[in-house]
Amino acid sequence: MPSRTAGQDFLKGLWQENPIFRQMLGMCPTLAITNAVINGIAMGLATAFVLIFSSLLISLIKKVIPNQVRIACYIVVIATFVTIADRFLAAFFPPISKSLGPFVPLIVVNCIILGRAEAFASKNSPGRSVIDALGMSAGFIMALLILSSIREVLGSGTFLGYRILGDWFEPWVIMVLPPGAFITLGILMAISLQIERKKGER
Amino acid sequence: MSLSSRMVVVLTAVGLLSGGFLASVGILTKDRIALNRKMEIERAIVSVVPGSVASETLYEEKDFIVYGGKNEAGALKGFAIYTSGIGFQDKIILMIGVDASLSRLFSLIVLDQKETPGLGAKITDRTSFLVYWEDKDFTQSFRLRKPPAPALESLSASEVNTITGATISSEAVLNIVNAAQEKARALYEEGRLSFGGAHAE
Amino acid sequence: MELVTLFIGAILINNFVLHYFLGICPFLGVSKKIDAALSMGVAVTFVMSITAVVSWAINHWILIPFGLDYLQIVSFILVIASLVQLVEMFIRKTSPPLYQAMGIYLPLITTNCAIMGLALLSALKNYDFAEAVVFGVGSGFGFTLAITLMAAIREQLELADVPKPFRGAAIALIIAGIMALAFFGFSGMIK
Repeated sequence: MPSRTAGQDFLKGLWQENPIFRQMLGMCPTLAITNAVINGIAMGLATAFVLIFSSLLISLIKKVIPNQVRIACYIVVIATFVTIADRFLAAFFPPISKSLGPFVPLIVVNCIILGRAEAFASKNSPGRSVIDALGMSAGFIMALLILSSIREVLGSGTFLGYRILGDWFEPWVIMVLPPGAFITLGILMAISLQIERKKGER
Repeated sequence: MSLSSRMVVVLTAVGLLSGGFLASVGILTKDRIALNRKMEIERAIVSVVPGSVASETLYEEKDFIVYGGKNEAGALKGFAIYTSGIGFQDKIILMIGVDASLSRLFSLIVLDQKETPGLGAKITDRTSFLVYWEDKDFTQSFRLRKPPAPALESLSASEVNTITGATISSEAVLNIVNAAQEKARALYEEGRLSFGGAHAE
Repeated sequence: MELVTLFIGAILINNFVLHYFLGICPFLGVSKKIDAALSMGVAVTFVMSITAVVSWAINHWILIPFGLDYLQIVSFILVIASLVQLVEMFIRKTSPPLYQAMGIYLPLITTNCAIMGLALLSALKNYDFAEAVVFGVGSGFGFTLAITLMAAIREQLELADVPKPFRGAAIALIIAGIMALAFFGFSGMIK
């Protein structure tokens, strides 16, 4: 069915079908944990782990699962990997687990994962599903990095915890608070839509 | 195999596999997670009760625990009180270190808070706030000094400064400490804080 | 008194959408018209209240006593998915007009992070039964308030001249930001 190359399947997740800016899935964690770059990276990697392994497993067992119970099965598969990610973080990286809070378990309702399972993994080979998952993960992480970099630098004057703006800079505390998250993402969305429109006009 | 029985078989298989897998992951990580939590509490106790290297739980109820801090010889060096209360945004959790006669407050640390970053969150910072809580008098209630005293030395042993722009968070900490003080004193007088090891001094 | 402060806090201060960032997808997707928003809000509040009770029961009667807390995520999401199915079937049978009004939103609720978030937060904060119920109902009200306010603003916005790149999601997010700022003023209301 797909006449796309493997490379295209990967790259589409970065821009044309970027989960945040284009598909608008997975907004909740995007807004909640991007107040610091380290949180963005950790959440991105945790989501990538769940997305890649869920897509792989679902693609492997797609022929065995009757259509009527597929959503329930997908949910169990996804929830299993989310629990693994959550327990792993709590055991080996407690401070990060604490800052991400309930958002790691919430990966289970991150529409990106169920969305890709339905739209891609259930209809494509395991190899392609993994590539699609990698592309979507890369796009997701990229969006998280952009948003969290802006919020941390402007909101705390730091990047990954290191002070990069001198004492002359009075941090815009609002950036690490909910209003800043909403407004920054809104502006980024408008910018990405504008870039897309300009490309279309050429 | 009919469709419905196939559905049941697949669902059961998926459920059992998932359950089994999670059980093994759960057991593998369970000890580590419990240890992390225990170490966090232990670190807090040791830092607020000087001279202590280990602890013992003396009294426990929901959101209020009194630990005894002991040195290598097993003697009681002081109590560490784990307590919490409502702050500006959400719950603030404190660990308060006091001496064995409940007359001196050594210091306190903030274990968890969700106050405003840059303002209320400064209650975790030593130079901005915690320094006011070092070496205070635990025999009477604490009061806020308003406006804040310019020099640390001019604060009495029962007074603390507020953080400019974060009065509510500062006051919240004060209220939590005062409430804990009353509760600990009541328990002490009832003899509920008995310590098994030898007493120091 | 504690329960009242918890209830008000859940609606205004720790509003699920504007403070915890839960339920953003329906918040942006279903907030174009006030009646759609209200229907979604009612459906969510209904499911949240039941979920609060059921997840509390599962957590405190099964998971914790048997040391099965690693099954929390799987059991919660399965419960929510089944609950939504049951509620949808129940409403369809007992009240077709009600089903017409809000039934279509129900399947969407399963992936609504607000419901799962409610179950997880309630477990995280170790609420007792009364607190869990109040938290569930209050959070539902808070969600309904946020989504209805957003719909009211967006209906007015239809008449305004929004720059092209901002139309749709972007302007909705910026409005949400301003709403969050306004709600921030409620902090510190309860001592």
